[in-house]
Amino acid sequence: IFHPQVVKGCDEQILHWKKVSGDYEALDDRLRTLPDHLSYDVMVPFGPLAFMPGKLVHTNEVTVLLGDNWFAKCSAKQAQKIVDHRVKYVKGELDDLLKTRKNFEARVGFTEDLKELSVGALGHIGSHLESSSVIMHRVYFLHIFKNLFSLFTGKQRVAHKPNSKPKLDTVLDLEEVEEEGKGVEADEEYCKILSEKELWARLDQLEKLEELQDEEDRLSDTGDTNGDDTTSSSSSEEEKEADCSQPEKEPGPKTSWATSSPANGQLVSQAAPGGDTTKDEDEQEEEEEDCLPTIYFSHTVEPKKVRICTGKNTTLKFSERKEHSLTHSKRKKKNNGTNGHSHHELHKITSPVDIYRLFVDVKNGEPVPRKSILKSRSRENSVCSDTSESSAADFDERRLVGRSVSHDDAPHSDTSDGHTEDDSPTALPRTPSRFEAFSGTVVEKDPMPTAVPHLTIAPPALPTILERKQEEGTTDAAPPVEPPKRVSKFKAGRQNR
Amino acid sequence: MAEALQKKLQSELEKYKQMQKDVSKSMSARQKLEAQLTENNIVKEELDLMESSNTVYKLIGPVLVKQDLEEAKATVAKRLEYINGEIQRYEALLKEMEKKSEQHREVLSSLQQEYQKATGRAVAKV
Repeated sequence: IFHPQVVKGCDEQILHWKKVSGDYEALDDRLRTLPDHLSYDVMVPFGPLAFMPGKLVHTNEVTVLLGDNWFAKCSAKQAQKIVDHRVKYVKGELDDLLKTRKNFEARVGFTEDLKELSVGALGHIGSHLESSSVIMHRVYFLHIFKNLFSLFTGKQRVAHKPNSKPKLDTVLDLEEVEEEGKGVEADEEYCKILSEKELWARLDQLEKLEELQDEEDRLSDTGDTNGDDTTSSSSSEEEKEADCSQPEKEPGPKTSWATSSPANGQLVSQAAPGGDTTKDEDEQEEEEEDCLPTIYFSHTVEPKKVRICTGKNTTLKFSERKEHSLTHSKRKKKNNGTNGHSHHELHKITSPVDIYRLFVDVKNGEPVPRKSILKSRSRENSVCSDTSESSAADFDERRLVGRSVSHDDAPHSDTSDGHTEDDSPTALPRTPSRFEAFSGTVVEKDPMPTAVPHLTIAPPALPTILERKQEEGTTDAAPPVEPPKRVSKFKAGRQNR
Repeated sequence: MAEALQKKLQSELEKYKQMQKDVSKSMSARQKLEAQLTENNIVKEELDLMESSNTVYKLIGPVLVKQDLEEAKATVAKRLEYINGEIQRYEALLKEMEKKSEQHREVLSSLQQEYQKATGRAVAKV
C-alpha cells in the first residue's frame, strides 16, 4: 500500500547519509595533511565577494563541534579520532536504511506479484477484485507482521504467498511454519520464489483433494443426490470462493453452507455439500474434521423415507449424513456413553434431522428411531412421497413438544423439518412418557426443557441450531414469527394433498 | 432540524480539527526533543573521549566561552535528563489528546449519522 513510499523515503535518507559520509572523508583527508606545514598561505574569504591573502596558523589546533553548541579544542589527531567516530555512526545509519529499503522493496515486488497471481488465480472462478483485494489485504497484514518480525530479528523472511482461494488460508497457516524456517535461513528472494511455487503446488494439491472429496461425497449420496450434489458442491465451491471475503453466514441454503466456512473451505467442501441447513462454522469444522475419516451411514437403519420432505430426497440424505457425521464427530469428541452425552451430540441441531434424532431416542451408538411408532403409523409409506399429510397434526404436536429453539435456518430446514417433525410427532402421541424421557435426555440441552412450556405458547417452534441457544431468549419471539411460515407451508402441503 | 444538525456537525468538526492540530503540534515537539536527545548523547560520548588537556568551549550567542571539561560533562548530563523528562511529559500529553480526539471522532460520527438520517427523511418527505 504505502510500501513504495517507504522505499522512496529510505532512498532519500540513504542519499543524505552518503553525502555526509563523503564530507567526512574529505575532512579526514584535510586533517591528515593540515599539520604537515606550520602555516599555510591562503586566500581568506572576506565577506561574500572578496578574498584576502592570509595565513593559516596553529595548524594542529582544531576546534571541534561536539553538538548542541559545545566545542572542544583538539589536536588534529584527536579531531581525526572524532571524525572516525562519526563516520562509524553514519555508516551504521546507512546500513540500517539499506536494509529497510531492501525489505520494503521486496514487499512491494511481492505485492505486485501477489496482485497478478491473485487476479489470475481468481480469474477462472469469475472473481472479483473485491475478494482478491480482501485477500491481498489479509496477505498484507501477514506480510507486514512477518517483515516486521524479520526486521526485528534482523533476518529476512519470505513473505507468504497469499492464496487467492479461501481454503488456502488454512494452507497459509500450515505453510507459515514451513516458511518460517526457510525464510530465516535462506536468501530473501530465493525463498520468495520457492515459497511461491510451493504454495501454488500446495494449492493445486489441495484443490485436487477437494475435488476428490467432493466426488466421494457425491458417490456416497448415490442416485437421488447425484445431481444435486454436483450442482450444490460446485455451486458451494464457487460460492465459497466468491464469498471468501464474506465470512458472515447468510440465510441462503447453499450460500450459507458456503459462507459458513470461509476459512475452512477445505474441510467444509469435503463434507456433505449442498446441505440445505446452515451449520455453524465451528460445528462444521468439527463435524467435517471428524467426518472426513469416519463418515458412515448408520442411519440406513432409520427409515429414510420418513425424512423425505417434499420431494427433496437429497436434502434428507444430506442431513442424514450430517447427522451421522455430527453424531460421529460429537461422539468422538464427547466420549458419550450416556444418553445425556449422546444427547449432547443431538444437542447441536443443525438440521431438522437432528431434531428427529432427538425425538428418536437418545442414540447410544446408533440412532434408534422409534420405529415401532413410526411403523405403527405407517409413516414411512405415507411420508415417502408426501411431506406430511397425516403428520400435520403430529407435526404440530411435535412442535409443541420439541421446539424450544427457534432457528434462523427456518427457511432452509423447512423441508427437512417436515420429515423430522413427522417422526417426532408420531413419537409424541405414542409415548408421552417417552416424551418426558425425551425431555430428560434433553436436559443437557437447555432449550429443550424450557422449550416445552414455551412450545405450548408458540407451537410452531422449530428447533434450531444448538449453537444458537443464546438466541433462544430471542427465539421466543422468533418462533412465533418463523413457525407460522412453516406451519403455513405444511398446511399448504397438507391441504394440497 | 437538519440544518441545526448540520451546524452542530460543523462545529464539532471544527473542534475535532483543532484537536488534531494540537496533537500534531505536540507530536512535532516530541520529535524535536528526540533529536536533541540523540545529539546530547553524542556530545556526552565525545566529552567522555576527550582528555582534559584540550579545552572545551560552549557557544553562547556569538561567544565561545571556555568551559571546564568536568563542568561540561555535568551540564550535558543534566540536559539529557531534562530532555528525557520532557519527552515523557509530552508522551503523556499526546496520549490524552489521542483519547480526547477519539471521543470526539465518535461524537462526530454519530452526529453525522443523525444528520444523514435527517437529510434522508427530509428527502423522503420532499
